[in-house]
Amino acid sequence: MKRAKLLPVLGGTALSLALFLSSCAPAGVPTGDPPKRQFVVAFSQANNAEPYRAAQNAFLTKLLAAQPDLKLVISDAQQDNSKQVAQVETFIRQKPDLLIVAPNERAALTAVMGQAMEAKIPVICLERDILQPNYTSYVHSDNVAIGRLAGQFIVDQLTKKYGKPRGNVVAMRGLLGVEGEINRDRGAREILDRYPEIKIVADPVADWIQAKAKDRMTEVLRAQPRIDVVYGHNDPMAIGAYLAAKELGREKEMSFVGVDGLGGTAGGIRKVLDGILAATFVYPLCVDKAAEIALRLLHDPGFRPEKEYLLQSVMVTAANAASMYETYSIPGML
Amino acid sequence: MLMLHLPPLKKAQRLVALAALLLLAVLISPTAADGSRIFLQAGNLTDILRQVSLIGIISLSMTFVILTGGIDLSVGSILAFSTAVAAMFLTRGYTTHMAVAIAAAVAASTLAGLLNGVVIATTGIQPFIVTLASMIGVRGLAKWLTSNQNIDIGFGRDLAAEFAAAFREKAVVIGAYALAAAVSWTVLARTVFGRHVRAVGDNEKAALYAGLPIRSTKIAAYLLSGLFTGCAGVLYAAENHQGNPNAGVAYELDAIAAVVIGGTRLSGGQGSISGTIIGTLIMGVLTNMLRLNNVDSNVEMMIKAVIIVLAVAVQRERNTN
Repeated sequence: MKRAKLLPVLGGTALSLALFLSSCAPAGVPTGDPPKRQFVVAFSQANNAEPYRAAQNAFLTKLLAAQPDLKLVISDAQQDNSKQVAQVETFIRQKPDLLIVAPNERAALTAVMGQAMEAKIPVICLERDILQPNYTSYVHSDNVAIGRLAGQFIVDQLTKKYGKPRGNVVAMRGLLGVEGEINRDRGAREILDRYPEIKIVADPVADWIQAKAKDRMTEVLRAQPRIDVVYGHNDPMAIGAYLAAKELGREKEMSFVGVDGLGGTAGGIRKVLDGILAATFVYPLCVDKAAEIALRLLHDPGFRPEKEYLLQSVMVTAANAASMYETYSIPGML
Repeated sequence: MLMLHLPPLKKAQRLVALAALLLLAVLISPTAADGSRIFLQAGNLTDILRQVSLIGIISLSMTFVILTGGIDLSVGSILAFSTAVAAMFLTRGYTTHMAVAIAAAVAASTLAGLLNGVVIATTGIQPFIVTLASMIGVRGLAKWLTSNQNIDIGFGRDLAAEFAAAFREKAVVIGAYALAAAVSWTVLARTVFGRHVRAVGDNEKAALYAGLPIRSTKIAAYLLSGLFTGCAGVLYAAENHQGNPNAGVAYELDAIAAVVIGGTRLSGGQGSISGTIIGTLIMGVLTNMLRLNNVDSNVEMMIKAVIIVLAVAVQRERNTN
């Protein structure tokens, strides 16, 4: 008997689902309004859960919302290669006017981005490289250069403190094997290794996570009586290290340097303003450049974009933090 | 025991659910430039099949494990382990035949499954705990083997690239799933082992008194899980052009979801391969339908949650009848 009751429930749910979907989910492809051309930009995001990527989504949404003839759809692969491949495949079926892909991992997305190009969809590859140039344009920054900037800043800090470049540095490393971790580390070491009196006394791995960085830093603080600079490969880890030092009353002994430089109250720029970080280095979101390329590609048939755009980092210190906070904060974001 | 007479009806009902979902997907499908419904394009329908194949293969063997009253939480880690072993053999000159690399990956994964089975069958520790431990341990092994690095297979003209090109073919992936499904169905429905699997999960004491080989049945179920997951890992390596020690996170949950949506009782004894296949397809069609309509991915997760509970609620209603 109960079975008979549940079937209508199922049916009702399916029906309301359909109504819900048709009301909240506008079709990905323009329907019969020929006069005004509606462009669809599809964005395959690797993982919405990372603050950097959430900022990308928010910034791109804000930039494209200003365009009345343009609709942006974003999919979230939740850090799963197979999921992202599937989502790009589905986008290809929808035939958007432009596809932006922030690949979760290089090897996994290469082939499917090639399929998009074969389907004559212009593709912008964002931030992470893929194995073959299966894109119209590749917009990225340079983590080695950022590492060098951070290294030079640390050298300057120590020189100011001791009159010459010497001192003890702790490096907080991100997830091992990831490009950002490898190159932010390499760039900084290139600079620091030139000064024999600057020592990296510990380089624990905290997987980009603030809470883990706090735990690892607590251990380092127990073992190291004197620390001058903590270099976090991202801002959350630098902040986690700060919290650990503060707990042990040692935060005044050292300065904290991070990378990412996101806007908003949770971002690194705010922490520079608050005097917690001595500096952060903006890892460009890349979506502003991508939006610019997208708009020109869609509106100007003669436009031939560059194959590659390399975006420079910006150093944020107390001197420029206030104005940078304005620039990089996005309304509607934390 | 009235429910013993119901299986055909149950199956029909699951099919009705899938059919209803398909109908809904067709009705709300966006249309292509030529007016045709994108959902119904052959390319899209085969996309769905390819996309569910890996989880599909894992959920087939998961059905056996769950039927014995067990669970295998280690499949995501074993998949990662398999991709790593395959990519290492292919790219580090250990062999000149891709069959050797595939065999190595599948054998290593099968061994991991065997270990699960032996520990569970001989110590009596709950499968949840044993496979939770191997989920952690095998993940560590995969990361240790690869030094946390992805092993890129690349797009050159070498053995590894040939392997990836051959095994990322849609027809091969879907074919592998179809083959695994056929084998699983036959084994469960037509062999003595299949009957033992159900009997052990339905009432282990009764099975013991009946003199059934409980230990070897359990060991075989986990071994099968390792074997199938290893095969899925090989396909994953080809599809993603890499051995990836971080692959497959939370795949165990997707596989378990497919199995329970397919009507297999989580406490064991009751369930079917056809149900699991339908469960897998329901999740695949649902994902595709929501993506084609650009439903927000957070909303997608909420809808899936409702579907899972609803599906199991319906089965429960039947079981308590």
